[in-house]
Amino acid sequence: MSRNHSRHLTVLAFIILVLCVVTLPTRSEAYVGPGAGFAVLSSFWTLFLAFLYSVYALFTWPLRQLYRLVRGRKAYGKARFKRVVILGFDGMDPELAEKFIQAGKLPNLAKLREQGTFQKLRTTFPAISPVAWSTFMTGVNPGKHNIYDFLQRDLGNYLPFLSSAQIEGPKRRLKLGKYSLPIGKSEIKLLRKSKPFWHWLGEAGVFCSVIRVPVTFPPEKFPGVMLSGMCVPDLKGSQGTFCFCTTRAQNDGARQGGVIIPFQKDGANFRSYIPGPDNPLIADSPNGAPNSTAQSHEMRVPFEVRPKSADTAEILVGSERILLKVGEYSKWTSVHFKAGFGITAHGICRFYLKQLSPELEVYVTPVNIDPKQPDLPISHPLTYSIYLAKLNGPYATLGLAEDTWALNEHALDDAAFLEQCYSNHNDREKQLFDALEKTTRGVCTCVFDITDRVQHMFWRYMEEDHPALQDAPAEARLGNVIEQLYQRMDDLVGRVLAQLDSESMLMVVSDHGFKSFQRGINLNTWLRENGYLVLKPGVDETGEWFQGVDWSRTRAYTMGLNGLFLNVKGREREGIVAPGAEADALKEELRQRLNGLADPENGKVGITGVFNSGNVYAGPYSINAPDLIIGYGDGYRASWDGVTGKVTHQIFEDNAKAWSGDHCIDPRLVPGVLFSNRRIQVEKPAIVDVAPTMLRLFGLQPPAHFDGKAWPVG
Amino acid sequence: MTSPYLTALFLSRTLWGGVPMTLVFAISVVTGLVMLVIFRYTSNQQAVKLAKERLQAQLLAVRLFQDQLPVVLRSYGRILRGTLRYLRVAGGPFLLAIVPMTLLIVQLDHWFGMEPFRPDQTFLVKAQFAPNAPLDEATLQLPDGLVADAPAVRIASDSQVVWRVAPAKYGAYQVNLALNGQTFSKTVVVGSNMPRLSWLRTQSFWEGLLSSAEPRFPKGGPIESIAVIYPARDIAFLGWQWNWIILFFVLSMIAGFAFKGILGVEI
Repeated sequence: MSRNHSRHLTVLAFIILVLCVVTLPTRSEAYVGPGAGFAVLSSFWTLFLAFLYSVYALFTWPLRQLYRLVRGRKAYGKARFKRVVILGFDGMDPELAEKFIQAGKLPNLAKLREQGTFQKLRTTFPAISPVAWSTFMTGVNPGKHNIYDFLQRDLGNYLPFLSSAQIEGPKRRLKLGKYSLPIGKSEIKLLRKSKPFWHWLGEAGVFCSVIRVPVTFPPEKFPGVMLSGMCVPDLKGSQGTFCFCTTRAQNDGARQGGVIIPFQKDGANFRSYIPGPDNPLIADSPNGAPNSTAQSHEMRVPFEVRPKSADTAEILVGSERILLKVGEYSKWTSVHFKAGFGITAHGICRFYLKQLSPELEVYVTPVNIDPKQPDLPISHPLTYSIYLAKLNGPYATLGLAEDTWALNEHALDDAAFLEQCYSNHNDREKQLFDALEKTTRGVCTCVFDITDRVQHMFWRYMEEDHPALQDAPAEARLGNVIEQLYQRMDDLVGRVLAQLDSESMLMVVSDHGFKSFQRGINLNTWLRENGYLVLKPGVDETGEWFQGVDWSRTRAYTMGLNGLFLNVKGREREGIVAPGAEADALKEELRQRLNGLADPENGKVGITGVFNSGNVYAGPYSINAPDLIIGYGDGYRASWDGVTGKVTHQIFEDNAKAWSGDHCIDPRLVPGVLFSNRRIQVEKPAIVDVAPTMLRLFGLQPPAHFDGKAWPVG
Repeated sequence: MTSPYLTALFLSRTLWGGVPMTLVFAISVVTGLVMLVIFRYTSNQQAVKLAKERLQAQLLAVRLFQDQLPVVLRSYGRILRGTLRYLRVAGGPFLLAIVPMTLLIVQLDHWFGMEPFRPDQTFLVKAQFAPNAPLDEATLQLPDGLVADAPAVRIASDSQVVWRVAPAKYGAYQVNLALNGQTFSKTVVVGSNMPRLSWLRTQSFWEGLLSSAEPRFPKGGPIESIAVIYPARDIAFLGWQWNWIILFFVLSMIAGFAFKGILGVEI
């Protein structure tokens, strides 16, 4: 039977079914039975809801228009364009873009350059994504938006905390035996200050769709839709904790960015579990009371692996059965962590069968917040993440969704990491094109992270002498991953351009560029060797976060990627440097000594600029800024140990991790890109100018506190 | 003054119609569950889930983008298309289940659909003859306990003869129709409980399958069918009188929706 014929028969059967349902006499209704009843009732319910919505929407539409008029929301009247689309390509580098354009690899970006604009876009101090994107959206310097790095330091204990958001459990709890029931809601605070440009546009009646712009968690209310991006935590509350289950004997269960969990053999099968958040209902869990032991009440979802053949295994988790070949990812799978009393944390994760023999190895992505049942708000309105999940299926919600640590720690190989990146990217593309379809007028902004993550992890293949390549066999080297990435982004630009009409404007921006990261510099070690940081007697090297540092004799320390802090009296808990002249003198002394710091191994300059934050930032939150911003030279960055507050014996060291490219260096060396299909006539545009430009494009006057200047757009 | 006991008894009888209601309830719940299981294993659960989620997405789109009129209108179109897609993916299992369900309901209707006659209740016995059969020669032979209440009415144009019969006492009887030396019997029940009833005895295979609980008459004989019209049974539930089929339909669906989450079935 031909396919067409069969299709016609199906249609005919369907029509007969519908006619039966509609025309059968009353007594015979039951003869179709509950099965048909289910179908008819469900679809009727949908249509009924749609009808209600339609009546509501149609009848209130004139009222809403009137309300907008009364509130002065008539920005479209003065708009230069019907629609402005911003594609954010995190970390797209102007020099690489130019090189690939010259080679004829990026035809769509080349077209933008020819017919519109291509310029370098000055980034922020420091050139770090959360800082730069915060400036992008707010139009102000970090002194006004309060984001200086991924991490901020606690002045009371010198420990780090996430700079963008703070989640606090309910203040009151009711104890019932071993349980401690929360009374009230958790509080999630956005620590970024200043309002993003879509807030101002929304207030003026311009509809904005905002997809995955960093530092938008928790989502702020505004008249539009938004899906939060970088800084959304995983279900554990971390910025991404993968799980690597293996039969291989391990020394310890911890890896940076993840945990290693052994498999338990059960006959021919293997059992393990996915670690989840701590049970919030248990009295002495970390969220329940302060005196607790970590992981003591961790909720877990067990799973089982059943080998089926030499290269295939079945994974059983919850009610799901997933058949995987070696080297294959599962789809997003729901995992439910049950706390008790009907309280469940809803997550999604993907399994990757890395190896079946001689050892079984399964990688599990960090457990993302389920966008269909978000336990924390990850979109505005709350239903937007649900809408996207129902439209396109589940998707990564974690801020840093591409698991760079898993590649660094060899839980994933290059190919598996790339597959993960592109899988997430495909979902993001779907979200973008849906937003484009829905935003017929207004602003559509979408940030793609893949450009940043892939450059971080694959830069090593562009340099023969990169330390990260020392042990890599030649056949395993992926030579043109970054070139292919740029081509892929160019293709995306082409498809977006095809959706735009003559009344639309497109901007492609990146928050910073990219450079190699061959050598790390541990400034804490330098500070120690030069007498600015002192360890307690008997301590030779410290652990993470300054364990063993004698604060009563320490004058300066570094934490995070680019910040150097003085231990100021009255500010830090054990500060010893007097504010004012003494602090200023110390800052200047450090600035002069660090600027031009040379690598003894090769004579290259490791630090090309040290910037006094007092000269770089202005605003009410500059009190939270580092005292000095370190601008590392090309090929250098803060060492892995230095970032986490470790003091060792090596100031300069090779970076042998897969994370081999970076941008947390001298911001003057890593500008971003600005492409547009319109002529933007300005010299040295900066990322801080984007927000005021957006307001101007819709006829609004940028607020006085903005630091950026609107660009003249041709 | 009404006794509280009687009031409570009256209320309980009108809220819950005794044994028939209990049986209908139990059968409905079991059927709902069985249908769920059948639906689960005969439907493409992924396709059903997908179709539902796409529909829900369009509903959310109407709400999310309510100020964008073109978007809202596009979503309405997608809702209609999505509804048809959902009915298509859910319709297959329905087509599979309709035959056993129909047969089941036919059988249940013999118990729940009709009440037996009461001793004081006259009823009609209708005999349908083959065309050209000698209607005048047909006689109805009644057993002890049933008496003819009126002379037979012969409708030659319809080849039909009707007798009015009055039952004198409880019992399950065979009434015999004699014609040309042949006898054709039909069961008649006079009672107060809930026996299995068959209102029709017929030659026709399909009529027999859908309406009769008695053996068929031989094909080609002079009698096509004999029918007695039992009174319909109504079942009290929540203060109203219901036909059992409506109760069955509603209760089985409620059971299905109630258990779908527990059984993990997408409907």
